[in-house]
Amino acid sequence: MGDEDETPFSAADSLRLIEEQRSTTQRSLTPDPRLLYWPWGIAWLVGFGLLFLRFGPNGRVFVDMPVWLPLSTLYFLMIVAFVVSGVAGARASRHMSGVSSLTGALYGWSWFLGFAGFIALAVRLSPHLSDEWNGLLWAAGSIGVVGLMYLNGGAIWRSRDLFVLGLWITAVNILGVIVGPGWHSLIISLGAGAAMIISGTFAHLKPGRWF
Amino acid sequence: MDELDPVIHAQARLRVVAALSTLREGDQIAFPRLQEILGMTAGNLSVHLRKLEDAGYVSVLKTHSGRTPTTLVCLSRRGRFAFEEYTAAVRALLDGPQ
Repeated sequence: MGDEDETPFSAADSLRLIEEQRSTTQRSLTPDPRLLYWPWGIAWLVGFGLLFLRFGPNGRVFVDMPVWLPLSTLYFLMIVAFVVSGVAGARASRHMSGVSSLTGALYGWSWFLGFAGFIALAVRLSPHLSDEWNGLLWAAGSIGVVGLMYLNGGAIWRSRDLFVLGLWITAVNILGVIVGPGWHSLIISLGAGAAMIISGTFAHLKPGRWF
Repeated sequence: MDELDPVIHAQARLRVVAALSTLREGDQIAFPRLQEILGMTAGNLSVHLRKLEDAGYVSVLKTHSGRTPTTLVCLSRRGRFAFEEYTAAVRALLDGPQ
């Protein structure tokens, strides 16, 4: 049992051992960022893309398809994204305890509560809006909440990259709102969707910088 | 090599301390997860943790997660300091006598 302990090893071995073990441990305890961000990027790229093609600016239809298809696709992909990213996050933090776990749990609840607050308002307003403005409300409101949560996350974990992602999503959302229904979908699809995919890729390639 | 802390300077215990050093202060890891990350048997890890705990480098807290008993592990302040000192001493050795 103690055999391993008796083997002499050099200072160089020691440093290498330390670095390897720290790296292995950190990898295990950190969720794969690709699983956290790509599913959402794909959901928005495809979902909002379909929304743009079917419900273009000024009522234009670029690609005809059933009216329910774009939103159903978006919601379905978002549910998939929620499950995939949720599971990835949960797996990485299992059997951990303490301050970080509490922070993570509260942050998770904030997502839920933030969306609850927005949805309550949107549901109330919906009946009073025409289809295209209703669409903008739900889309821009949801993306707005996401942007805000990433800004907060950047603040909580002092992560510049996460904050910048939140900043970009917020900016892109504002731009889309200004340009109006139809265009908003395209801007979110390309601007925010692509940003999520890039973020996931970047975080994967440069571990340790993200948080 | 005589100057290196003998509690830490043993392959298995070094790995345990290095792994625990990645946790932030205030965070703990449950025994099974630590075991999984290190790839050690439960018995093995217990022995190493005991020695580290006796030296005051590791805090082992037996608690409950709901109704399941859980053992939470983390480096103590002293352990963190000892690891920093150890790492500095190793680096100094590698950089050679000046």
